[in-house]
Amino acid sequence: MSFFTNLFGGKKEEPNPFGRTPLDLDQGFIFEYDMQSWEVLAVYEYDWGNEDFSKEFKVSDGTTTYYLHVEEDDELEMSWSEKIPLKALEGNIAQQIEEKERPPETIVHDGKPYYLDEESAGYFHEKGTDEEAWTEFMVWDYYDKKEAFTISIEQWGPRSFEASHGKVLQNHEISDILPRKQ
Amino acid sequence: MSIFKRIFSLGKAEANSALNKLEDPIKMTEQGIRDLKVDLDKALQSLAEIKALSIRARNDANTYQAKAKDYEKKAIALLQRVEKGEMESSEADRLAGEALNRKKENDSLMTQSKSDKEKFDSNIATMESKIKRLRQQISQYENELKTLKARVKVSTATKNINKQMAQIDSSSTVSLLERMKDKVAEEEALAESYGDIANESRSLDEEIDRALEDDSSSNDDLAALKAKMGLNKDS
Repeated sequence: MSFFTNLFGGKKEEPNPFGRTPLDLDQGFIFEYDMQSWEVLAVYEYDWGNEDFSKEFKVSDGTTTYYLHVEEDDELEMSWSEKIPLKALEGNIAQQIEEKERPPETIVHDGKPYYLDEESAGYFHEKGTDEEAWTEFMVWDYYDKKEAFTISIEQWGPRSFEASHGKVLQNHEISDILPRKQ
Repeated sequence: MSIFKRIFSLGKAEANSALNKLEDPIKMTEQGIRDLKVDLDKALQSLAEIKALSIRARNDANTYQAKAKDYEKKAIALLQRVEKGEMESSEADRLAGEALNRKKENDSLMTQSKSDKEKFDSNIATMESKIKRLRQQISQYENELKTLKARVKVSTATKNINKQMAQIDSSSTVSLLERMKDKVAEEEALAESYGDIANESRSLDEEIDRALEDDSSSNDDLAALKAKMGLNKDS
């Protein structure tokens, strides 16, 4: 950078190549997880009300697609999940939600019990789409006994459900975040 | 050397000297680190591009492989239909041949994608080692900047102390204090002398007058006392 660029270039945002966190991830960014490079394919934003927001990134390593959920609640909380069919969960979950307006307190997946932790209503928006297009939905989050694995059940409409299975990540597990200009 | 060239050289030297004096080592180092970070960020963006290409090449290889398998399955299914008598042999052969051609195309594309991925991965390894060196360089300069700042603080403090020490004229202060001491002693001696002189210069008359003054006063007091007691009324 020349003397005159410094003098007359104006104040620009300084790059912070050492300080990027998963919250800084954006479309096209690359990061390392589990000895593999992952590309952010889409960014989803969630509004839980009371100024409580979280982000989810659809990521791919070229073979599989996962979802990295990132939330700042005093400290960074992350989970790594994949979609699973609702029928992979034992019991008729959809019917129970229809009848009782909520799934059971305990659900079983692959023979392992998961316990209801939180029920939330929120709004979903995909970054890059119409800023006004936020969709309302319900989500029930379950954890296993050690709170290491998660199950989420989402309801997007009267008969529209989605389920995902994931695990809780430690902060150091996402590394080498590389930016990309869009 | 011509006169103009010498003047020019002189001007250049003076300008450089003036600029050197303007340079603040801390600010210049901080700016240098900022510039290196900008370079690092650009390098990271380039690395991200290559990694994205590698991920896509892997995705392409997987897609072509799946397509090749699919065409092979279709070719097999066509031939099986002929065996079951569900299809004309010539038509099945034509379609199965076409499917195998597509399979071969996809196999070839898959090989190309895998080869591309290997090239990208090799570039990634080279770039990563360069980026690692640049990161280390920045960390090193950041550590040196901390040391530099500490050294500047120490040298500034030392300079200030030395400057104050240099401004103190200890010999003149000591002689001033000595002079003051002598002056006080002189004053004391003078006061004592005045006292002596004052005692010596009293005249005899003054002594007598003082004695008389003292007596009359005491006589008055005595008379007053006697009067009070009713004695010597005549006197």
